[in-house]
Amino acid sequence: MNKIVTIQQSIMAEDEKFADAIRADNGKRGLLMVNLIGSPGCGKTTLLEKTAEARRLSFAVIEGDLATSRDAERLAKHDIPVVQVNTHGGCHLEANVVQKAMEALPLDTLDVLFVENVGNLVCPAEFDLGEDFKVALLSTPEGADKPLKYPYLFTSSEVILLTKADLLPYLNFDMDMFTRDVAHLNPSAKTVHVDSLSGRGLDEWLAILEERVREKKAHAL
Amino acid sequence: MHEFSLVESIVDSLLTMQQDAGWRRIVQVQLRVGVLRQVFPDILSFAFETVTRGTPLEGTKLVVEEVPLAFRCLDCGTTWGDEGGTCPCCGSIQRETLAGMELIIQSLEVEEPPS
Repeated sequence: MNKIVTIQQSIMAEDEKFADAIRADNGKRGLLMVNLIGSPGCGKTTLLEKTAEARRLSFAVIEGDLATSRDAERLAKHDIPVVQVNTHGGCHLEANVVQKAMEALPLDTLDVLFVENVGNLVCPAEFDLGEDFKVALLSTPEGADKPLKYPYLFTSSEVILLTKADLLPYLNFDMDMFTRDVAHLNPSAKTVHVDSLSGRGLDEWLAILEERVREKKAHAL
Repeated sequence: MHEFSLVESIVDSLLTMQQDAGWRRIVQVQLRVGVLRQVFPDILSFAFETVTRGTPLEGTKLVVEEVPLAFRCLDCGTTWGDEGGTCPCCGSIQRETLAGMELIIQSLEVEEPPS
């Protein structure tokens, strides 16, 4: 005798439990958690280095990479607490791994915990790590067509950073297409043009973070 | 290749459910997957076959139902589909996503032990 059983359970139910636990802990602590997602070489680590140099926020980083601890070494030079997680071929971080990495960090002394996800526009967007919001990074040489090609990331991110904006004069980046597609996918996203090397856009980026840190701390009390 | 991660989660859940409920076999699994989730049904089926080989789920059929996008305007209540954007009625950017992000085990067809 066969029968149909209704389940209606999220496929990621197990991982969501870890993500929910992280979110609840950070809520009590008043710690803002931000998940940075973008392609390899789009400038995630450089953005974090410049964020450190600004000395406006106290933060730590969980670094996800397939291999090596190069990014962690770069950040450690700026006296940023860093935990490197090597995924050994895995294309994204998952909440259970992040929860373990958090144990090694001085969470009570921080304003922000960044997760620098594995360089990839697809899978990292799918996995809830317990963050307050995702930031999508797109560098100008990657091309303006990427938001529509990777719609889940650009739809689910609260902030979209267009990095390497200083290269625009040398590229045929279609800014109208980018602006139109982002407005179509995610009309309420905050989009910032950033050039980390010259510092353009960093003030706007830091102001967004500072505002969210204030909100987070206010809600913790 | 996040299809493999998803399949591992699905398989873990199904094996637990089967053990708890005492079903003889799970014949078919119905998934609901939102179009925004970038899940490729063929790769999902291939991953499911590979991961379940040699387990009690070998031979279980995986059926993927794609769920189209739907938004609702938070200002005027209009609902619309396609790939998003602003409200077609009032132009508001304040919207909620009603559908298109699902990753759900919807239902199972199971074979019960003889009573």
